[in-house]
Amino acid sequence: MAISEGGLLTDEIRCKVWPKLLSVNTDDLPPLPGKELREDSKDYQQVLLDVRRSLRRFPPGMPDDQREGLQEELIDIILHVLKRNPQLHYYQGYHDIVVTFLLVVGDRLATALVEKLSTHHLRDFMDPTMDNTKHILNYLMPIIDQVNPEVHDFMQSAEVGTIFALSWLITWFGHVLSDFRHVVRLYDFFLACHPLMPIYFAAVIVLHREQEVLDCECDMASVHHLLSQIPQDLPYESLISKAGDLFVQFPPSELAKEAAQAERTAASTFKDFELASVQQRPDTVLRQRFRERLRGEERLQGEERTKSILTKPRTNRFVKLAVMGLTVALGAAALAVVKSALEWAPKFELQIFP
Amino acid sequence: MSAADVESSLELSLTGSGALPGALPPARSRIFKIIVIGDSNVGKTCLTYRFCAGRFPQRTEATIGVDFRERAVAIDGERIKIQLWDTAGQERFRKSMVQHYYRNVHAVVFVYDMTNIASFHSLPSWIEECKQHLLANDIPRILVGNKCDLRSAIQVPTDLAQKFADTHSMPLFETSAKNPNDNDHVEAIFMTLAHKLKSHKPLMLSQPPDHDEIHIKPEPKPTTSCWC
Repeated sequence: MAISEGGLLTDEIRCKVWPKLLSVNTDDLPPLPGKELREDSKDYQQVLLDVRRSLRRFPPGMPDDQREGLQEELIDIILHVLKRNPQLHYYQGYHDIVVTFLLVVGDRLATALVEKLSTHHLRDFMDPTMDNTKHILNYLMPIIDQVNPEVHDFMQSAEVGTIFALSWLITWFGHVLSDFRHVVRLYDFFLACHPLMPIYFAAVIVLHREQEVLDCECDMASVHHLLSQIPQDLPYESLISKAGDLFVQFPPSELAKEAAQAERTAASTFKDFELASVQQRPDTVLRQRFRERLRGEERLQGEERTKSILTKPRTNRFVKLAVMGLTVALGAAALAVVKSALEWAPKFELQIFP
Repeated sequence: MSAADVESSLELSLTGSGALPGALPPARSRIFKIIVIGDSNVGKTCLTYRFCAGRFPQRTEATIGVDFRERAVAIDGERIKIQLWDTAGQERFRKSMVQHYYRNVHAVVFVYDMTNIASFHSLPSWIEECKQHLLANDIPRILVGNKCDLRSAIQVPTDLAQKFADTHSMPLFETSAKNPNDNDHVEAIFMTLAHKLKSHKPLMLSQPPDHDEIHIKPEPKPTTSCWC
């Protein structure tokens, strides 16, 4: 539901489903955080500064006193989670995530959900340093490379780096999208998926704007500026489904080597990351979902689907040819099989062309 | 929407007062790349926005990572692009994320909040960090004390700041990104810097005039995308 078109639709449903996605028991919620936390928190000043400035996160028509009340609750929730989990470190942007939960499910439930999220999906962002965050950002370019090497090479030449996507990643796009409905729709999706899904979604946004990128001047400033300004009218549903497709086609395990290469020192942290990631189950569910959907796909869409699968012209050329042959011979009905085979393709290819 | 306000500074800048009406050859313009650093909430975003868009932004939020603003100006008849890289103030960002942006900068602007002594006390560590990242020693640096309009709340006296600036051989400017009467002042600060840069390194890198040149350039190694 959270992944499929439209997401969870209403906040009422979200109040019921988000706790389930995070395995939080709603009958046994911890008591509300108190104000005493403010005195001995090393993060209080920073949290205060960021929350006070986060006016844009609240609905435009909301009366000031109501908004101010929510801002106070927001501070309390953040300090509460940090206090109970001393291994977690506050980062600017964390407040953008917490406010989303606060606005959708209210302070009590938000506290429990955010605590769980912070020790799982957001865990890497909350390390003492941002090294693991950098590591996750290093998945961005390999994903883009798999789908559109031209865009990848262009961005490499521009030396744009990946910081333009930093706020997307660590706020789950909460910092950059002005329509709250879009933000919660993405949260539905990310909550139901592997913690790395936001970086796949970031790649899909870049790829969606491939023409703009290629038309841009090839220097860091121009490309950074273009990409860091997210268009507000993105076709979210199709991008979500595309991000899911890419995740299945190029799972993190396959990109790990390239991501680590981009970083050189990352080899050890990746293992930690894999170990830390406990979201294997939703990941599996997602894969199944995409396979099922594919089987149910209509013949007419077959051709288009083939195109989207065959998006790796440089390294997968031989596989591509093989798949084309298959498609011609068997028609669209064979696509489900082909698609499953493609997931194995890179390994397969390695064996044939060492 | 204020987000749109802040982010549209690039577009605004191109038609702004400093932009040249096309009297000069349009192909190449020199680029001055300036990084703006300092503690959280000292007003880095407001200052850069003020210079690039010509006004104080209605609402700003915490900067996450690095934001970019640009404005074209004419100095002595030459068209110059001033690029301002506005950085996040929280320490964890500057430790691992901001390094990438120190590369090839032509000048550094250190900002502190005149109403917040802690932001002034952080300056030595910013300056030290900057020294480590910069390749050249002779890069122009300036010190800006922001929020001078909040007279009753000033915690950093001018003579203290001036002494500090002298010790580090930097010019000091006290200003307010907010005060409308100070618009000329914010403008003057960045323009002074631009003038200094113009005389400082006459052969600074130019922007490639078109895309064709890009393909001739050797491809950078893949490792250049990271911050190691």
